Amino acid sequence: MNLLSYFGMVWKTNKAFALFTMGLLIAMQLLILNLVRSFDTQVMMESFLTQLPKNMQLFLKESFFSTLTLDGAAAFGYNHPMVIALIIVNAINIPVRHISRELESGTLELLLSHPVKRHSFMFMLWGSGILMLLLITVSAFLGSVLGIYFFHELSITIVSRVLEISLNMWLFSILVLSYTILISSKAKGGSLAGNLSAMIAFVFYIVFLISQLWDSSAFVLPYNIFYYYEPQQIMLGRGHAGLDSLVLTGLSGLCFGLSVLFFNRRDIP
Amino acid sequence: MNSSLPVIRVENLTKFYGNTVGVNDVSFDVEQGEIFGFLGPNGAGKTTIIRLLLDLLKPDKGNISIFGKSLYGNSKEIRKLCGYLPGEFQAYKHLTGYEYLNLFTDLRKSDAGDTSLLLESFDLKPKDLKRKSSQYSRGMMQKLGIVQALMHNPKLIILDEPTSGLDPLMQEVFYELIFKKLSEGTTILFSSHNLPEVEKLCHRLAIIRQGEIVSVESIDSLKAKVGHIMELTLSQPYPKLTISGAELIPIDTGTVNENHYVFQIKGEINKVLQKVSELSVVDITISRPSLENVFMKFYKND
Repeated sequence: MNLLSYFGMVWKTNKAFALFTMGLLIAMQLLILNLVRSFDTQVMMESFLTQLPKNMQLFLKESFFSTLTLDGAAAFGYNHPMVIALIIVNAINIPVRHISRELESGTLELLLSHPVKRHSFMFMLWGSGILMLLLITVSAFLGSVLGIYFFHELSITIVSRVLEISLNMWLFSILVLSYTILISSKAKGGSLAGNLSAMIAFVFYIVFLISQLWDSSAFVLPYNIFYYYEPQQIMLGRGHAGLDSLVLTGLSGLCFGLSVLFFNRRDIP
Repeated sequence: MNSSLPVIRVENLTKFYGNTVGVNDVSFDVEQGEIFGFLGPNGAGKTTIIRLLLDLLKPDKGNISIFGKSLYGNSKEIRKLCGYLPGEFQAYKHLTGYEYLNLFTDLRKSDAGDTSLLLESFDLKPKDLKRKSSQYSRGMMQKLGIVQALMHNPKLIILDEPTSGLDPLMQEVFYELIFKKLSEGTTILFSSHNLPEVEKLCHRLAIIRQGEIVSVESIDSLKAKVGHIMELTLSQPYPKLTISGAELIPIDTGTVNENHYVFQIKGEINKVLQKVSELSVVDITISRPSLENVFMKFYKND
């Protein structure tokens, strides 16, 4: 069996939610860019900011008000909590469906009774998940580029930055996919794997927000996966694309390697 | 493939689920061209053995050789030669019947094999196969499962409750197919609760009880162990008989017919007949036991 035929099956199973995510990402990018173009909020927000504590000022400036330029708005679509949630749900959904739920339904038992090595199955699943997430990322990229084209000025610099952000988002989503595969390769049930994976993402996100606001907890930032997902910083030219890619890829590889090891040894079902 | 070796050789196979015994010290051989059955109540360990044979479960102890090769290290190669129908077969709900079969053909890197013939035999029409499997009835799903298990002409077929959900007509089609495969030299491993079906199909049976194989024998030899079954109707209540060289073991049939008795005869039948002839017999039937009688013998205390 090759990757493409398994991907076809994964696509058929997950296409409804993936298409919804893709449509929403494109629409959201267009909407945000159109919204920011239509009124000048910069001055109003600056005066509001001065009334807030210093940490809060910095946090809001970087995470939100920097987006009130058209360039920043293009990055904002990638950083909106709803977009992050959708990306995470897509990344979690694939392994939970194709490992944990299939273990429960018995379809994985039948698949693995065929001449397929377990590590080949894991590579097919990982590869299919990566392809699915690539399609979603490409839709976000297209939404941004179209938005900039329609409502702003398209330049090589801005396109290359949006491309860099998209790569960052893709690698981040692959990490979520990979640690969910790791959990699914050990977990007994679909609900457990799904809930645990979502909880990990949620805890990381909350800790990340707190660490940004609270100086004494800032030291934990480098240990947080969201630290390596920085669309706004990349758009402002302050990102660390190399380090981000290295950490996200390394962690994804580690999680996937461990998942193959565990899956090879586990009982089906 | 070495033809002098059994197709399946299982030696001292043990599998625990935590502290619970799945199977314990199980050993048996399955010869080429035979239908070998597993018989046992739910939870006896039949499915565990099947999953161990397919390398889906990892044993705690013991060895499995299939086609003369150890399963461990040759699992993929061995599974190429096997067809498997799990109990409670489920297909991918988002795929149509065609897509499902193509997926597994692709998975095996094989050609379509006997697929068309099988689809025709089981009356699976193109319009059915164009529908998503989530719309299939239980029977149609089972037919699809049987087709995927047999379509690549496997040398070893492993079937777990294959006829559950099939109507009597389709069951007959399935039996014919199994006998056809058998005539081609295919080896079949078969697990079922359906005793008449097991009796009809299997050459030899492994009786499994609480994770252990308590007997591996041909059906005739198992029946001989139970002896004969005597149904007796008397004109008066049965006076307990003492027969030297034979024993009458009463079987509770649950009927309320006065002076009607069912016994399992152990020992010399002639001595029993001599003694019974002294009673006022209204009716008497002596028969070979059914597989149900054999089953009850092994499991009546469970």
